Amino acid sequence: MASGTDTRRVRVVAVAVALAIAVALALGFASRAWFMGKPAAPMEKLRIALPGLPHAALLHIAAAKGYFAEEGLDVSITITTHGRAAMDLMDQGKVELVAAAEVPFVISVVKGEPLAIVATLVSVANATEIVARRDHAIAVPSDLRGKKVGVTFGTGGDYSTWAFLIRHRLAPESITLVDVAPGKMVGELLGGRVDAVSTWEPIKSDVQAALAGNALSFTEPDVYTGIFALIGRIETLKARAGATEKLVRALLKAEAFNRAEPQQALKLLAGQLKLDLKALEPGWSDFTFGVDLNQSLLITLEDETRWAMARGYVDEGPTPNFLSHLYLDALLAARPERVTVVR
Amino acid sequence: MKISTKARLATGTGLTSIMLIAGMIWWANNEVEDANGQRRQTIELARGLTELRLVTFEYMLNRQERARQQERNVSEHLDRLIAANPFSKPEQSEVVLRLRQRSATTHRIFEELASAPAANDANAAEKESIQRFEAQLSSRLLILQQESLADAFRLGDFSTERINAAQQRVVLVIAAGLVLIAMTTGGGAWLINRDVLAPIGRLELATREVAAGNWNYKLATLSHDEIGELSRTFDAMTHSLQTSFAQIERSNQELAALNQEVEAFSYSVSHDLRGPLRSMDGFSLALLEDYGDKLDDEARDSLQRIRAASQRMGRLIDDLLRLSRVTRIELSLKPVNLSEMVREIAESLDQQQPERAVQWVIEDGLMVHADKALLQIAMQNLLENACKFAGKTDKPVIRVGVAERNGVKEHFVADNGVGFDMAYADRLFGAFQRLHHESEFSGTGIGLAIVQRIIRRHGGAIRAEAKPGQGAAFFFHLKEQARD
Repeated sequence: MASGTDTRRVRVVAVAVALAIAVALALGFASRAWFMGKPAAPMEKLRIALPGLPHAALLHIAAAKGYFAEEGLDVSITITTHGRAAMDLMDQGKVELVAAAEVPFVISVVKGEPLAIVATLVSVANATEIVARRDHAIAVPSDLRGKKVGVTFGTGGDYSTWAFLIRHRLAPESITLVDVAPGKMVGELLGGRVDAVSTWEPIKSDVQAALAGNALSFTEPDVYTGIFALIGRIETLKARAGATEKLVRALLKAEAFNRAEPQQALKLLAGQLKLDLKALEPGWSDFTFGVDLNQSLLITLEDETRWAMARGYVDEGPTPNFLSHLYLDALLAARPERVTVVR
Repeated sequence: MKISTKARLATGTGLTSIMLIAGMIWWANNEVEDANGQRRQTIELARGLTELRLVTFEYMLNRQERARQQERNVSEHLDRLIAANPFSKPEQSEVVLRLRQRSATTHRIFEELASAPAANDANAAEKESIQRFEAQLSSRLLILQQESLADAFRLGDFSTERINAAQQRVVLVIAAGLVLIAMTTGGGAWLINRDVLAPIGRLELATREVAAGNWNYKLATLSHDEIGELSRTFDAMTHSLQTSFAQIERSNQELAALNQEVEAFSYSVSHDLRGPLRSMDGFSLALLEDYGDKLDDEARDSLQRIRAASQRMGRLIDDLLRLSRVTRIELSLKPVNLSEMVREIAESLDQQQPERAVQWVIEDGLMVHADKALLQIAMQNLLENACKFAGKTDKPVIRVGVAERNGVKEHFVADNGVGFDMAYADRLFGAFQRLHHESEFSGTGIGLAIVQRIIRRHGGAIRAEAKPGQGAAFFFHLKEQARD
């Protein structure tokens, strides 16, 4: 009896010691998680408009994974055809924030709108491509001279085409640029009203599929890296500073998830966009997701300002100080090392 | 659980905690060393990128071939640094991959810029095209190099974060380990108090109780550790001792009863023998007085011998009775002035045999706590013996005093008489034992036996020192609290 009691006591003490050691180890290896508390603030409502494009993947993933709710946000998302359309909704006061390419942002800022970028979400190496008809005597970039190229005016595709022409030392004036809405690209090209179109995924794939063997794609990754950013009106961002910071934190979580589980993230995105997974995969490797605010963004914005003036989208004049159009506070609060803008 | 098992557990816990802390420190040291290596690599990378920017600007400004050569060297150096990628985590690898791609793009664009025809040699239309081209490439170079530099710093941040995380974990594990050690120490102290000190206290109390005679005191410990076993052994020992003492007590009582019977018997026998002896002596005397003239010399001599033998036997019986009385008499202890008592006895002895001319040397102020009557008998015997054995010397001297031996004060009676051989000292205090023939020194040989019995009844002891022809000395001491 006595030895049995002793054995049980030894076991109890051994288990207690093992538990204490396990707690010590858990404390040591889970220290970061231990220190990171969760917010207990009430849910804040936030309306965001964004195009139904993979460029806004981080927002879609954050919504699907419930990161907004985790951060105490009740986010309602409105899907638009492209970034410019999303910005129109913000102008109308229907949303507080938009996700859009930097080109419509530049045009709006130069026109005097008090907008600011909260953070860039993704950079795309081959953001846009020029898809030309081979049967229109186009084989090399210089063959575009004198041809009609369909672009959606005031978008990243428009700027990308301009940059492409310069890179190939073609005078932009030697080509006729025709304003074509993204949804009409395929029809305009098949109908022969344009000789080529400059467009982005997933329309690019649709155009190539429609032309089949008649399609010839030109891409020049060195000239332009498309940027997709989270944009808001400056007064709104200041008034909703807390919500904006939470939004940035949720996006950082989405970025981490996408990095850790890229295939699952892609499936979530396809589900959110109601797209076939195979339609997303081709251009997916061109996307570099990262919630940042880099100094290089200012150079890009200034380059695009000069382009917008040259294209006549805005009046000639001094280049705005884009530093005041970057809302640094949210990202500085969440991940200061992600802000490399010289202050 | 055994105390030794608890001690092993506590030691094991302490050692495990220390090993855990040591392991964590070792791990953290490796982490920090590794992260420092990454940081050094990152710093080297940032330096290379800064140099690349510098030579790129220099080339754009002055189109010097030297700057172009330097750009090529720096690009190759950067490629080697990036190739030696010390980062393994997905985010860091992604950054390194971007750096590698951007490095290739930057160098390609730079070469395109360097290879472009000079705008000055072209016509107006081409000039504008070339200027736009150069401006575009310059902007791209600026952007790409800026982004690479930002990425290099980001890699540095990863290393710093890694070092911080390692330090944080080490601090937490050390804190947890110290808490564990503190808990083990506290628990150990509590267990030692509960399982060792408190039981030892109870054991000590039990020892005192048993020493005070409470043989029924029991520890009745239920614990199964070493002290529990010791307590049970203690209980068994007291039980065994209790049984043994009870047996001894019974034996003592039986012995006392037996002694009493023997004494009663010897008294009775001695007393009853006196009557026939007196008759023998009386009738022998009557025969000598009434019919002495009718008897021849041989018959008268025989009668004289009968008388002498019966008288001697009477003295022996008297001595036996005295010895028996000494044993049975009840003690009445009081302070006794031994010096005074000795002087009185000496005076009496001098009066009895003034021809001896004994010189008495008696210390003053000798005090003892004793039964005065018994002590009187003992001193009478000792002093008579001294007188008897010193009586034949020319100048008999008898000394009575006190001396210290091995821290014990002993009274002594010493003479300068015939002394005796110490080889026979063990026979001195036996009843009717004699070291000298009766014809030489009279007596029955009972005196010293009586003295020893009196001293022993006072809880003391007596011994003798002597040399033949040089006298003898008897040393004795009494206990203050003598036995009844």
